[in-house]
Amino acid sequence: MLNRLLDRLEETLIAGFMALATLIIFFAVVHRYTSSIGWVWQYTRHIEVNWAQEACIYLFIWMAKFGAAYGVRTGIHVGVDVLVRKLDGAKQRFFVVFSLLSGAFFTAVIALLGTRFVLHIGELGQVSPDLGMPMWIVYLAIPLGSGLMCYRFVQVLLAYAQGQPLPGHHYGDPGEIPE
Amino acid sequence: MSGLVIALLLVLLLLTGMPISIALGLTVLAFLFTFSTIPVEIVSQRLFTGLDQFAIMAIPFFILSGAFLTTGGVARRIIRFATALVGSFSGGLAMSAVLSCAFFAAVSGSSPATVVAIGSIMIPAMVQHGYPKKFGVGVVATSGGLGVLIPPSIVMIIYGVSTSTSIGQLFMAGVVPGLLMAAVLLLVTWLVAKRHGYPTLPRASLQEVWHAFRGSVWGLFLVVIVIGGIYGGIFTPTEAAAVSAVYAFVVAVFIYKELKLKDVPRVLLQAANMSAMLLYIITNAILFSFLLTSENIPQNLAQWIIDQGLTPWMFLLVVNVLLFFAGDFMEPSSIILILAPIFLPVAQQLGIDPIHLGIVMTINMELGMITPPVGLNLYVASGLARMGLTETTLAAAPWILVVTAVLLLVTYVPQISLWLPRLLYGPAG
Repeated sequence: MLNRLLDRLEETLIAGFMALATLIIFFAVVHRYTSSIGWVWQYTRHIEVNWAQEACIYLFIWMAKFGAAYGVRTGIHVGVDVLVRKLDGAKQRFFVVFSLLSGAFFTAVIALLGTRFVLHIGELGQVSPDLGMPMWIVYLAIPLGSGLMCYRFVQVLLAYAQGQPLPGHHYGDPGEIPE
Repeated sequence: MSGLVIALLLVLLLLTGMPISIALGLTVLAFLFTFSTIPVEIVSQRLFTGLDQFAIMAIPFFILSGAFLTTGGVARRIIRFATALVGSFSGGLAMSAVLSCAFFAAVSGSSPATVVAIGSIMIPAMVQHGYPKKFGVGVVATSGGLGVLIPPSIVMIIYGVSTSTSIGQLFMAGVVPGLLMAAVLLLVTWLVAKRHGYPTLPRASLQEVWHAFRGSVWGLFLVVIVIGGIYGGIFTPTEAAAVSAVYAFVVAVFIYKELKLKDVPRVLLQAANMSAMLLYIITNAILFSFLLTSENIPQNLAQWIIDQGLTPWMFLLVVNVLLFFAGDFMEPSSIILILAPIFLPVAQQLGIDPIHLGIVMTINMELGMITPPVGLNLYVASGLARMGLTETTLAAAPWILVVTAVLLLVTYVPQISLWLPRLLYGPAG
């Protein structure tokens, strides 16, 4: 139940960040070109858009950190699995477990380092140049995203240990939209 | 010495089959904790600041735009137009497939996306008209490679970001080699079809051509937005990508009406999934190349290569061969991210233009996508044609020679790639 809620939240967040970033940049560009249309410009020239690039970058960084966790669930993180796939059952299982554990380990370390970094930035009281947003909130994406990703690796590992197949990503699947 | 340790560690981790991004990240962590004096805190900062560049954000925007184009009926209309143009030649349907890939490549930035968009329609159509399935699959898997060579191109954006090269200029430099590659593929398709007597379609009347053009013009107008917009200084590449995403959305949902509004969140999610995967590799690769640079590895390697007395053409040959093998095992973005920062200092010392190196690497990636065991285009095409990977690989094999020929031509005649950007932006700018 809680997991389902987390799944939905994750999906809604990353799709939402994507849409929002696109709209922000689109309107910033449109806004810039209204300056050549006199009667529109008298209304639009008061709107500030110089924060748009910064907002877009931050939205995409958040999208990337949470999307990477979602990607573990969809099995989209590609590796060089040519050799491993040639191995027989037990050996292959060993390497699959090893790489899932490595994923969990790396993301856990990053989540810890990220937390320390966020606390450090929080003490400094930095704010972002254009939006004036506290930087510790912006950097929160690292520990949160990486922590969630770690959780996803553990989830996949547990499912695999119970004999479920790995989430696989196949190009050209029906309904699949490639990069 | 440290270079050897890093390389060995990375290769070992990669061979276990773990995600490339994790292997890169673990290599950096392992090295920082043991050999290096760089504070580990720098890692968490770099994980954020590495992505803190507006240019990188063109990647998710182009992926989103490509997702709308693929689902929105743009591909089908482009195919109808291409078929009206070249359908009456020998092997008309196959030639239309090549031309459609070229058109689609000019509105989208990725090769697998091009293969899916065109192949899902053209492979069954060719089989239905009596073409050998092998031929159809080979044509589409290979022509799909045009996706990264003809601008816009995600691979070029990644090269531009990782080497601080102008993305606009890279796009312009891809135009002539892209057209050349398309022309060669068309010619070879025609020759093969003529020899085997593959079917032709009835000649389309001018009126039909015009009608098909009118149908596809909404999609094709993206070429004007992206290329014209960037060259005309109206947008930066990232802005052009965002505008094309919104434009593709409008075309798919409101003009062609092939995508329902309620399906838009699904498209957004899938584009976000793909983008996040790429951005995650990019983050960790930036971390990795930061480690290399702080250990002076690219610089030392460059010096070593210069000391060996390598001439530019020998160096380019080494690049070609290395990339050919790397391309057999890894996907393009990772290769560019890892190797471009290492190649660039050498190239600059030897007087090779960074733009030219970028185009050479891009075509090499195209080659990698149709060579086994890891060829993205092969995976996609085999999925579409319901054909085994080995069979698909064999189907694409003769085309490897064709692409290699164009690769060598573009590698050793820099003017092919540099002529247009020099003309537009002035010499060596």
